[in-house]
Amino acid sequence: MSFVPVYRSRPSALHAARAGVGLAFCCAFALVGALFRHPLLLAGALAGIVVAGAAAGVGREVGRSLKLALPFALLLAVVNALVYQGGDTLLVRGGEFLGRRWEVTLEATFEGAINGMRIVVLIAALGGLMSAAVDPDELLKAVRRVSFRSALTATLATRLVPVLARDAGRKGDAVRCRPDPPGRLAVARSTLASALDRAVDVAAALEVRGYALAGRPAHRAPPWSRHDLRIAATAVAVAGLAIGGAVAGVGRVESYPTIELALGPAEIALAAAFVLLGFAPLAGRAARLGVAGA
Amino acid sequence: MPEPIARARAFSYSYPDGGGASLRDVSLELEPGTFTVLAGLSGSGKSTLLRALCGLVPHFHGGEVAGELVVGGLDVRTHGPGELAAVCGTVFQEPETQVVMGGVRAELELPLEHRGEPPAAVGRAVEETAISLGVAHLLERRTDTLSGGELQRVAIAAAMVHGPALLLLDEPTSQLDPVAGDELVWLLRRLNEDWGTAVVLAEHRLERCLPAADRVVALVEGRVACDAPPRDYLAWAAEAAPALATPAAKLFSLAGLPERPASVKEARTGLRAAGVELSASPPPTPPRARRKWWARNGRRPLALDIRGVWFEIEDGPSVLRGLDLQLLPGERVALMGRNGAGKSTLLRLAKGVETPTRGRVARGGEVALLLQNPGDFLIHEHAVEDAGPGGVVAAGLAGREQANPRDLSGGERQRLALEVVLAGGPYAAVLLDEPTRGMDRAHKDRLAGRIEELAEANAAVMVATHDTEFAASFAERIVLLGQGLVIGDGTPADVLAGGRHFSTEVARVTSGAALMPEEGARMLTREEVPG
Repeated sequence: MSFVPVYRSRPSALHAARAGVGLAFCCAFALVGALFRHPLLLAGALAGIVVAGAAAGVGREVGRSLKLALPFALLLAVVNALVYQGGDTLLVRGGEFLGRRWEVTLEATFEGAINGMRIVVLIAALGGLMSAAVDPDELLKAVRRVSFRSALTATLATRLVPVLARDAGRKGDAVRCRPDPPGRLAVARSTLASALDRAVDVAAALEVRGYALAGRPAHRAPPWSRHDLRIAATAVAVAGLAIGGAVAGVGRVESYPTIELALGPAEIALAAAFVLLGFAPLAGRAARLGVAGA
Repeated sequence: MPEPIARARAFSYSYPDGGGASLRDVSLELEPGTFTVLAGLSGSGKSTLLRALCGLVPHFHGGEVAGELVVGGLDVRTHGPGELAAVCGTVFQEPETQVVMGGVRAELELPLEHRGEPPAAVGRAVEETAISLGVAHLLERRTDTLSGGELQRVAIAAAMVHGPALLLLDEPTSQLDPVAGDELVWLLRRLNEDWGTAVVLAEHRLERCLPAADRVVALVEGRVACDAPPRDYLAWAAEAAPALATPAAKLFSLAGLPERPASVKEARTGLRAAGVELSASPPPTPPRARRKWWARNGRRPLALDIRGVWFEIEDGPSVLRGLDLQLLPGERVALMGRNGAGKSTLLRLAKGVETPTRGRVARGGEVALLLQNPGDFLIHEHAVEDAGPGGVVAAGLAGREQANPRDLSGGERQRLALEVVLAGGPYAAVLLDEPTRGMDRAHKDRLAGRIEELAEANAAVMVATHDTEFAASFAERIVLLGQGLVIGDGTPADVLAGGRHFSTEVARVTSGAALMPEEGARMLTREEVPG
């Protein structure tokens, strides 16, 4: 089992939608994390991502991305609480150390937690939902028309990561079978050399497939499926609500000197909308039509 | 006469490391639509010739070229692999590193996109190629979920999707089990017959591919030593290079029969023509019950005692299901079974790399395990740092102590890795996982000799292998696994003589009367062959 979520074909509307549309759907939720600092709105976006992941059959992958994101979020919260001294509500009075006073305030802790939550939303949307539900080959195919070699390099990097992970695992097993296990440095150097060998092999394979010709791929315009339309509409709705809400000043948060949190009908409605929009395009019979083999 | 698809005239090539010429004065012509097998020992120049035909030599590897090599009207000295890719598709040994994209459909589309083909043409070519090569059901799969055999078929489809006239394959079956290997060879034959694609296949297991071949080119030290139809090639090999002869051809040669059969069917016909009456294949002999065998040897101390072992994967299958197996000191055992039968898992449990989920593994002393990829054991820059001076000598590499293990041939690496794991001996048991993959017959014979030495030193040696000929050559006991259990356990004659799949070529020719060419020839000369 890979700790970082990887794409697998699954029978869901999100998988069946074209990669650009799937990307837009995930990016719309990431946009909420980028635009808002309000914990309720961030929680709404996170819940939207989680229900979308569960409905698309990648709930475990999204869960793994949350596990991956939580330590970062926690670190951010702790560092902000320790480093920033602003805020009126003192939680912990520390002494003098390294020439400065160390105090922890409620406001600095809150601000750190908000930033951590934004990180969690971004990682869950892009590192979890997008990695697990949007076909990277399709995505990079679109990029190849703009920058062929960069996109192909990115594809190769994506492809080689699991291969190299398996190589490293095998080498680890081999080291355990040696009567005199070599030092970690020697193993690391050998693993790196193996990775270079793999890269050379892949380069040779690319050469004989005509990589040197590197013609610009022709543009393809397949017809829009019902899933393309529904998910694109949802992505537009999420992004529109997020941008509109931000412009209208919904979800105002002030951390310093004291915490001020707007919590009216607009915030509650917007958070509820994010949750519903995460689920809406993936629910019902229409979302199950023609999704096998996606 | 049609224009040859490839023509070499006094073509020579040396790699840039200065290790001498890898190809010397190679002259040959490949006609369109022919199926050519490249034969030769490891290091004879087969891979280099294939790399020259696809343009990687000299454009990718560098080095010095002399003479002329023209493929599809393009001179490889002036046209690189990108241009030659229009004429020839190439498939290498290692399935994992030649599949480039994450999805099968994208993999097949890539070569066409390189050529700027319009979307409709890409779609049609991918569909038709996938259907023809039997990979249509894999189109929506991710490449990292495919088996080795499936990956090789996808690699062939990707090499053929743009319709090249020539397909080059460098030991494509060496990483596959026999069933997947046989399927691949017959797929190539169909491709050759239906599409008219000229195929050039470098292979060690000649008995597998000679029945499909029109012609065999044998390379010895970079030179073309023989270029002839299969039967003529086998006649040459019997005299000049016995290590390159198939078991059936060797059987006929040793028995003094004039024919050199290229397939089991031809061999049977040859025997009938020589007046040897073969009875119908007897029903498989039930393997001797292990319990009885154990009762005879039960008082001896065990090298390895595996009892009631289960290995169950979380959210996955039960790989082993209450397996029992005991090994005596000095025993030579071949562990066989299809891919996924649990051979590698059993060896890992025996060594202690994995722990059984139920059951018990008792070891009579230290256990050495050589895993499938010998390169994983070779960590250092110099052979002597990995195996020590004694190990290098024991691996037959005296004088090459300072060689970088990555510069050694596959067979040499395998021998060196074996000495690395044996460095801490003595061992109660030595376990080898698929040590003969990609090995030529000479290297296999040398490995069989080393196994004999280890057994004489009282170590139980168990080798997981798909190679029935190799198993028959070294083992005194064959253990057959299926569905995580022992489904056959006995002498090679018990298990390999009557099997439909797990049997040697000579056993198939002689209806199980003999396993190896020498044994079969003795039988034929003693009893059956008149005069």
